Amino acid sequence: MRIALSWLKRYLPLAGHEAKLADLLTFAGIEVEGIEKLQALGATVIAARVISAEPVPKTDHLKLCLVDIGDTEYPEKDADNRIQVICGAPNCEAGMMAVLALPGTALKDITIAKAKIRGIHSHGMLCSERELGLSENHAGIIHLPPDTPVGVLADRLFALPDTIFELEITPNRSDLLGYKGIARDLSARLNVPTIEPEVQDLSAPLSTLQLGLFNEEPTLCPRYTARVFEGVKIQDSPLWMKTALIKSGLRPINNIVDITNFVMLECGHPLHAFDYDALASRDGATGHPDIVVRRAADKEAFLALDGKNHELCIQDLVIADGKHPSALAGVMGSKDSGINPETKNIVLESAAFHPGTIRKTSYDHKISSDSSYRFERHLSPRYAREISERATALILDLGGVKAMGNLLDSYPSEDQEIILGVRPSRFKLLIGMEIDPAQMKDILQKLGFAYIQDAAHQPGLVADLNQLAPAVTAEQVAQYYRVPGYRKDVTREADILEELARLIGYDKVPQRTVLQQVMDRHAYRIQKKAAEWIVAWGAYETLNYSFTDPAQMQSLGLKEEDQPYIHLINPQSSNQSVMRVSLVPQLLTNLAYNINHAERDVKLFELGKVYLKNAKGHTEPKHMGAICTGAINEEHYKNKLQAVDFAWAKGCFEGLLQHLGLSPQAQACSIPYLAEGEAFAYELDGKHLGCFGRIQSPVLEAWGIDATNLKQEVWLLLWDIDALASATRSLSVTFVNIPKHPAVVRDLSFLLSDAYTYGQVRQQIVGLEPALVRDVQVFDEYRSKQIPEGFRSLSLHIVLQDQEKTLTDERVDALMTSVQKTLSEKYNITMR
Amino acid sequence: MQEQLELMLREAEQEISGCSNPNDILNTKAKYLGKKSVLNSLYGKMKDLDAQERPAFGNQLNQVRSQIENLLNLRAVAIKEASWKSEIKAIDATMPGLPFGRGGYHPLSIIRREIDEVFLSMGFEIAEANDIEDEFHNFDALNTPQDHPSRNLADTFYVEGGFLLRTQTSTVQIRVMENYKPPIRIISPGRCYRNDKPDPSHSPVFHQVEALVVDKGVSMSDLQDTLQNFAATMFGHKVKSRIRPHFFPFTEPSAEMDISCVVCEGKGCRVCKQSGWLEMGGAGMVDPAVFDILGIDSELYTGFAFGLGIERIAMLKYNIPDMRILFENDLRMLRQFKGEM
Repeated sequence: MRIALSWLKRYLPLAGHEAKLADLLTFAGIEVEGIEKLQALGATVIAARVISAEPVPKTDHLKLCLVDIGDTEYPEKDADNRIQVICGAPNCEAGMMAVLALPGTALKDITIAKAKIRGIHSHGMLCSERELGLSENHAGIIHLPPDTPVGVLADRLFALPDTIFELEITPNRSDLLGYKGIARDLSARLNVPTIEPEVQDLSAPLSTLQLGLFNEEPTLCPRYTARVFEGVKIQDSPLWMKTALIKSGLRPINNIVDITNFVMLECGHPLHAFDYDALASRDGATGHPDIVVRRAADKEAFLALDGKNHELCIQDLVIADGKHPSALAGVMGSKDSGINPETKNIVLESAAFHPGTIRKTSYDHKISSDSSYRFERHLSPRYAREISERATALILDLGGVKAMGNLLDSYPSEDQEIILGVRPSRFKLLIGMEIDPAQMKDILQKLGFAYIQDAAHQPGLVADLNQLAPAVTAEQVAQYYRVPGYRKDVTREADILEELARLIGYDKVPQRTVLQQVMDRHAYRIQKKAAEWIVAWGAYETLNYSFTDPAQMQSLGLKEEDQPYIHLINPQSSNQSVMRVSLVPQLLTNLAYNINHAERDVKLFELGKVYLKNAKGHTEPKHMGAICTGAINEEHYKNKLQAVDFAWAKGCFEGLLQHLGLSPQAQACSIPYLAEGEAFAYELDGKHLGCFGRIQSPVLEAWGIDATNLKQEVWLLLWDIDALASATRSLSVTFVNIPKHPAVVRDLSFLLSDAYTYGQVRQQIVGLEPALVRDVQVFDEYRSKQIPEGFRSLSLHIVLQDQEKTLTDERVDALMTSVQKTLSEKYNITMR
Repeated sequence: MQEQLELMLREAEQEISGCSNPNDILNTKAKYLGKKSVLNSLYGKMKDLDAQERPAFGNQLNQVRSQIENLLNLRAVAIKEASWKSEIKAIDATMPGLPFGRGGYHPLSIIRREIDEVFLSMGFEIAEANDIEDEFHNFDALNTPQDHPSRNLADTFYVEGGFLLRTQTSTVQIRVMENYKPPIRIISPGRCYRNDKPDPSHSPVFHQVEALVVDKGVSMSDLQDTLQNFAATMFGHKVKSRIRPHFFPFTEPSAEMDISCVVCEGKGCRVCKQSGWLEMGGAGMVDPAVFDILGIDSELYTGFAFGLGIERIAMLKYNIPDMRILFENDLRMLRQFKGEM
C-alpha cells in the first residue's frame, strides 16, 4: 500500500516526527518496503496556458506551442509574457492549462535546457506525470483544471516535496488498510491526537427515484447499504483529489469513481457506485430498479469492468439487479453497470462481506482488486453507514447532485461486540517487564479499546460481565475493554498483550541474561578439528601425566638451558619431577610400550598442555603430537600395504593446516631428535605452527626400541594448537564465481637430475603464467636401470584454465612449448 | 516413386536392425535422413512438381521420414537397454569392503567431549584455566582454612616459586568470577593433581569438569534441574540424580551428588555396593564468603557449582576396573573405543 506523507498529515500532525516516520512505522509492526522521495520542483515549474498549438511542418507529432507564463520571470519571454515550446504529446491542445518546466529545471531524469528542434527554439517542456516524478504515467502531458491561475508553482499544485511510503500490511491488520487507520495507530504511539475530517453537510432534496434492496445472503453479506443520487454531473475530480490518488498509485477516472477510491484509501473500506439507469427491475410491476444480494447461478455469465468474461458458480456472491449480476460482490463491478460520462443517476454501495467468500471468488476468477484485497482481510460491517456518509458528503460537494434518496440499510444481525479482560500480571509474565495499569489503560484507549469501569476479574473473553467472580489475588486483577470493531484480529487476552508490547516498543523489552563471552569458541573448534583430523588418519589418542622425567627431556636435546623446566617440590619420584615442555618423550614411551607388546603398526597422538616457564611466570599452551610407524592401511585384496613415510607424514601434517585454511611452505630445519635432512618446520608470519620429521634411530634405541630390527620409519608430527588457533582466527572463505570455461589438462614426463627439486620445477611452471596454471600434480615418480644414475623420471598433470574465456589449443600448445623450453634451459630436463 | 520409397524403407529397416552401438545409429541416420540422403534429395525435387501434387508427395516423404526416425529411436533405446543389462554382473557380496583406518579417542576424551556437548546444548560456555595455580585461587579464595589438611605436601603437589598444581577445577570458579560479571554459566573441564600413589581408584593426575552458574535468583532447585538433566542425557533417561548433605568450604549448603546405579538401575549390586547409588562428585550453593572475597554482591547474586570426576564416569560407563589402565595408553585398550564418538 502506498501512503503519501502529505495526505497522512491531514489526519495526524506529524511535525517533528517526519524524519523518523519510517522507524515509527516499522516498530509499530508496519513494514516499510520502500521510501520514495518526491523532490520539490522549484520556481521554474509552473502552471502555464497553451495559447496555440500548431503542427510543426514535416513531423508527424510535434507541435509548436505558444505558452503564456504570466508574471513568471524568464528573460526570453515576449511582451505578452509568451514563450514558444515544442511539445510531442498527443493530448497537447490550444487553450489547455499545462505544467511547464522552464530551461534550467532539474527534473528526476533530465535537466531542461533551451533547445533547437527542427530549427525552432523551444524554451522548456510541457510535462507528464512521469516527468514530474508523480507516477509512471507518460501517455500524455498533464491537463490542469482550466481555472488554474497561470504562473502558480507546480509544487503548490501537487503538494511537493512529498514522501511516499510503500507499506506491507500484515494480513491480520485490516484496520491499517487506509490512511485513518495508519494515523490512529501512529497517534497511539506518538501520543498525538488524530484529526477527524470535517463533518460535511449531508442535506439535499429528497429524490423521487426508487430502489429496491433484497439481501438474500445475510451470512455472506452481513450488511449492505445503498443510496441513490439523482442528476449527478460526471466530470473530473478536483486536482487535490487527483493528486492524492495518483500519489497512492491509483488512476483518476471521474469524480464519482475517484470519490469511492478516495474514501477507500482514507477509511480502508471499499465502496462501489452503479449507474442507476443500467440496473434492471426484479419485478416489472414496481417500475424501479432493484439490487439483489444473492449467490450466482451455476454458469451465470459475468462481463467484468476489465472487459473479461467470467463464468460464475454458486459459491460466488454477486450484487445483481433484478436480472443480471452487476458486480462480483466486493471484487469488481460489471462493465455495463459502471459509471460512464453519460451517467445521470447513481447508486452508492457501502457493504461488508464474508472474507472467505471474497478470497475464494478472487482466487477462482483470478481477479484481484484494491477492493478484494481489503474485504478478504475481514472488514467489520459496523462502519458501513459512516463510510457511506463520508462518500455522500463528497458526492454532494463535488458531484453537482440534484437530489438524493434515503440510505437503504440491510443489517440483519449486529456485529458481535467482544469484551476482553487483560491482566497486568500476565503482561509481566509474557513480556518480562512491569506495566503500570494506568499506562495500560492509556495505550489501549488510544488504540480505540473502550475501558469498562469497575468490571470484575477474569482474563480472556468475557461472555457476561455480570457473571464474573471478584479477583482474589493480585495476579487475577484485570481490566476490561470493548474491542473496537475494526480490530478483527483481537479476540483473546494474548492479542491485547501483543498490542501493549507493540505500542510500548519491542526495543524496550529488557534482555534479562547477558552471557559473558567467556568461551573461546574458535580455539575450541580448532582443537576439536585437529583431534578429528589425526583420528581420521588412523591415530589413537593417549593421555600422559603432565609431569615427566627431566633426564629424558635432556636426552632428546630439549635442554633446560633453552627452555627452563618447572620443577615439582614434592614429586613422587625423580622421573616425574618436572612439568613437561614437550609431548615427545611420553609419546616415545607410549610407542616403545606398544612395540614391546608386539604391536607393529602404531599411530598414537596426544593433544595436551605443555608447561613453559618464562620471565613473567609461565604459560600452558596446547600442543598436538603424533608418533607414527608401520602400515597405514590394512592388507586388502584391492589395496596393497603401504607404510608411514615422508609422503604420508607430509600429507597428514600439511593436510591439517589446509583443513584449517592455512598453506605455509615447509622449511628444512634442525631438531636434535629428528634425522638430519628429514625434519621440516612450518611458520606463518614468523609464528611457529609446528614441525614434522623422522625420529632418529639412536633416539629409538634410547627408548628401548630395537630400530635395526624394527625396519620401519618412525615419523613424528607436532602441531602448536594455540598457534593454529590464533593464525586462523580471522580467516574466512570468500566465494569466487565458479569458472565458466572448462579446464584443460596436459601431461609432462621428463628426466630430472637429482640436483634439482620438484618444487623448483613446479614454481617455474606456475610462474610462467600464474593466471592460467590452476594446478600442477605429480602422478608418477620412478627410478630404474633404464634411467641414468642420479636422475629420476617425473610425470606431471598441468591443469590450465582461463577465467575469462575457453582456452584454445593454440594457446595451450604455446604455453606447453614455453614450459618445456624454460625447464630445459633452467633445469636441464630431458623430455620422455 | 511409391516403390522406390518402399524399397528405401525396407533397406533402412534392415540396416537399423543391424545397428549394435550408438555410433551405428548416428551413421545410419546420416545415411537415410542426412543432407546427402536420397530422401533429402527427393524433398528438393518438390519444387519441380505441380502445386496440386506437392502436398501428397510431401506427405509421402514425411511418412517415410518419420517411420525411419521411429525405427532409429526404437533401436537406440534397445541398444541402451542391452548395455545396461550387460552391466549387471555377479559379485561375491561377502568379500570385505575397503578398510578405512580411522583411529580413536581416549575414553577420558570421549567422556569429556560428551560432557562438553551436554552442557553446551544447555547454554553453558566452556572456560579454561591453568593447571599451575597459586594458593589463593586453589585454597584461600575457596574459603579453605589456612590449617586445612588438604594444603599438606602429602596431599598437594607444589612447584617452585610458591605455586602448586591445582587440586580441583574449582579454581576456575575464582578465575572466571574475577574476570567476568554475572550472569555466569560455565563449565571447565581440566586436569587436577593430588599426591596420591596410583592404585585402582587413585591417580596423581586426574580430570574433572567444574560447573558454575551465578545469576539473580539462582537456587538449589536449579542445581537439581541441571544435575538431573545432565544425568539423564549422559546415562539415559531412566537414571535419577540426588544430592545429599556434605561439607565443602566453598559451598553453603554443600552436597554430594549421586546418580542411581547405571548397572542395576538402583536395585543394588556389586558396583554400587548394594546402595543403588553411585557417587558423582561435590556440589553446592556458592558460599557467600566466596562472593565477598571476589567483590560480588552476595545479596543480589546467588549461584551453584559442582565438580564431576571424569575418570569415575568413564570407569562406570565402560566397566573399567582400574584407573591405572587409563594412563598406560595400551593400544589393546585404546582400540576398544574406536567405535565411540
